[in-house]
Amino acid sequence: MIGNYLIGLREGLEAALIVSILIAYLVKTDRRDMVSRIWVGVAVAVGLSIGIGALLTFGTRGLTFTAQEAIGGFMSIVAVGLVTWMIFWMAANARHLKGELHAKVDRAADAGMWGIVLVAFLAVAREGIETALFIWAAARSAGQGASPLIGALLGIATAVLLGYLIYRGALRLDLAKFFKWTGFALIIVAAGVLAYGIHDLQEAGILPGLNNLAFDVSDTIEPGTWYAALLKGTLNFSPAMTVLEVSAWLLYVGIVMTLFVRKVRAPRVSASKSAEKVSA
Amino acid sequence: MRSVLLAVAVLGLAACSSSGDEATPVSVNSADNTCEVTPTTVKAGSVVFSVQNTGSATTEFYLYGAGDQILGEVEDIGPGVARDLVVDVPAGTYTTACKTGDDDEGIRAPFTAQ
Repeated sequence: MIGNYLIGLREGLEAALIVSILIAYLVKTDRRDMVSRIWVGVAVAVGLSIGIGALLTFGTRGLTFTAQEAIGGFMSIVAVGLVTWMIFWMAANARHLKGELHAKVDRAADAGMWGIVLVAFLAVAREGIETALFIWAAARSAGQGASPLIGALLGIATAVLLGYLIYRGALRLDLAKFFKWTGFALIIVAAGVLAYGIHDLQEAGILPGLNNLAFDVSDTIEPGTWYAALLKGTLNFSPAMTVLEVSAWLLYVGIVMTLFVRKVRAPRVSASKSAEKVSA
Repeated sequence: MRSVLLAVAVLGLAACSSSGDEATPVSVNSADNTCEVTPTTVKAGSVVFSVQNTGSATTEFYLYGAGDQILGEVEDIGPGVARDLVVDVPAGTYTTACKTGDDDEGIRAPFTAQ
């Protein structure tokens, strides 16, 4: 039961984290009207995942390992692109919110809003198919007693609950802090998704270097423990990662974090400069 | 959104057709200290490994080629759960492995496709 619970928790965490940040963003920027569209994106992703999962589990044709990894890798990299775009779009909107008219924000926002719905959809769909395959496998094993399925569903429910708590916590931050911290969190999450996607593509044989490990700490952080599940679920941290995965992670964080910090800091720098002028 | 869905659907269809209808079934029973694979010799082509976890910890099943090249892998098989792994296996000799709990090396055995 614990094993299945941890798998459910891990699979659900990342999507819960991204969706709760998106909803907190909409609530904080007075776009509550968009929240329902986010839920539509989430619902479509969940429905699609459950459907595809059932087709692959009960249909006559399974998905080959290589194809499964290729799809996972492809979707991960698309998700990273979208989340990256969203981080900067949110940061840009944050600057508008400070200085300019609300009408302008709303106009700029409308185009991007659909992008946000797409991000919510992909965040859920990316892990969704994998999770659905696992859930259907647990459901099919119901002859062993219902505990595998219950364990898995409780794990997902815990991920949703954690997402809700993050949402509540994020709402309490003031707007500037909110953008800064959710930006940092999303960059780290996206870097993890990138590394994960690269691992999938390495497993599919599309990228080389699967056995070229950068580190292996599986003796210290044992797979199957609750903290390994949390690390994997939020940061996509694996106890053993390849050189290519780690390089991509470092490059992504290095570049995107620098650009983001510059963007967030920019208004403050000019503010402190004008303050200097005044004092001089 | 539509283009992403389409891409996933196309990839899915392409992947399904490659697995074929006449996949050879192989049953794998992964327990805490054993890994029973039957049969251990199959006809080359599409093979479905049905991995049943009868142990108490989460398990993984691997099919390795020469030099531990991964041909196929199925992770996250919780206790009491059965999962399928579909792999196109060319003729040759391979190694199967059940990795239960924190066992990195896994319980290994030879596997042949003719």
